[in-house]
Amino acid sequence: MNSDDKDIQYDAIGEAGLRFFGKVSASIAHEMKNILAIINENAGLLEDLTFAAQRGKAIDPERLNKACRQFTKQIHRADGILKNMSRFAHSVDNFSGQIDLHDLAGLIGNLAGRPAAMRKLVIEVEPPRSPVIFTTNPFLLENLIWLCLEFAFAATGAGGTLTLSPVQTDSAVCLHIAGIDGLAGDFAARMPVGYEPLLMALGAELVADVPGKALVLRLSC
Amino acid sequence: MSEKILLIDDEQDFLTVMSERMEARNMQVSTAASAKEGLEKVTAGNFDAVILDLMMPEMDGIEALKLLKEKNPDLAVILLTGHATIKQGIEAMKLGALDLLEKPADLNALTEKIHAAQAQKMLIIEKKNEEMINKIISTKGW
Repeated sequence: MNSDDKDIQYDAIGEAGLRFFGKVSASIAHEMKNILAIINENAGLLEDLTFAAQRGKAIDPERLNKACRQFTKQIHRADGILKNMSRFAHSVDNFSGQIDLHDLAGLIGNLAGRPAAMRKLVIEVEPPRSPVIFTTNPFLLENLIWLCLEFAFAATGAGGTLTLSPVQTDSAVCLHIAGIDGLAGDFAARMPVGYEPLLMALGAELVADVPGKALVLRLSC
Repeated sequence: MSEKILLIDDEQDFLTVMSERMEARNMQVSTAASAKEGLEKVTAGNFDAVILDLMMPEMDGIEALKLLKEKNPDLAVILLTGHATIKQGIEAMKLGALDLLEKPADLNALTEKIHAAQAQKMLIIEKKNEEMINKIISTKGW
C-alpha cells in the first residue's frame, strides 16, 4: 500500500468511523453493565442468605447452586462480549490484512446483536460453501457492513431476520444482506452518512436487489 | 405496610434475582420483561413505585416513562440504567422520574428511594383527601 492509498483510507475513517467505534463501545458498555448488575444482585443474594444463616435460618443448597450457575452463565456471556470487543479493537492494528469474510461478518453480526434486538430484529450469518478469504482493510469493511446494517434496521422496521451471506464468484467477493423489507431502488439516498468514502477506499460497490430484499456489497479482490 | 413494586427490565435473570431480594425485604414485587407488559400491569395494579430500565427493545425507558406518567401523574418511577447520558438523565427528571440510578445499583440505596416514594405517595393521598373534605365542607350547607 503506497502513501496515497493510506491517506484515502485514513480519510475514509473520518467522522463516521469514530461514530461507529463509539456506538460499538457504548453498546458493549451497556451489555457489560447489565451483566455486572446480575452478578451484583446474585452476590447480594448470597450475602442475604449468609445473614439469614447467621441468625439460624436453614439455607436451601439449591438456592446457592442457582446463584453459582448465574455467576458462571454471566461470566461466559461477558467473556464472549469481551472476545468480540478485543477482535474489534485489534481490527485497526493493520490497514491491510487477510480476512475471512464469514468470520468478519459474524463479528459485526455479534456486535450489532443488541442494537438489532432493540428493534426486535435477529441477525444471522450464513456460512459460504467454501471459505471467502481476501485482503482488505478490516476496519473499513466492518464500518461499511455496520452502516449497511443501520440502513437495514431503519428500512425493515421492528421484527424480522437479516441474513448476511458471503459469496465468492469468479470475478468478485460479495456480501449479501438479505431480509430488508423496505428496500427500494433509491436506497442510496437513505444510507447513513459516511458510506461513500468507505466504498471508494475499499474499491467496493453497493447495489440493491429489490425483489430479493437484499443489499449486495461487491468487494474488490 | 409493605411496598408494592413493579420491576420492568428486559433482562429476565435480573428480574428473577432482584425480585427475590426485594421480596426478602417485605416488598410485594411484580415483574415485566417489556415496557408494553409493564404498562399493562401498571393499569391493573396500584403500585407504590415502578423501577424501570432505560434501554429496552421496542420501547425505551424514556418513552415508557412518558406513558406511565400519562396514565398516573403521581406514580413514582425510578429509572435504572446501564449507561445514561447527562441528557437522558435531565430528560427523565423533567418527565417526572423520582430518580435515576446506574447499574449495578446498591439495593440499600434503591430501598431507601422506594421508602421515600411510598412516603411521597402517602402525602399525595392525604393531600387529595384533605382537598376533597374541604370541597365537601365548602359546598354542603351543614
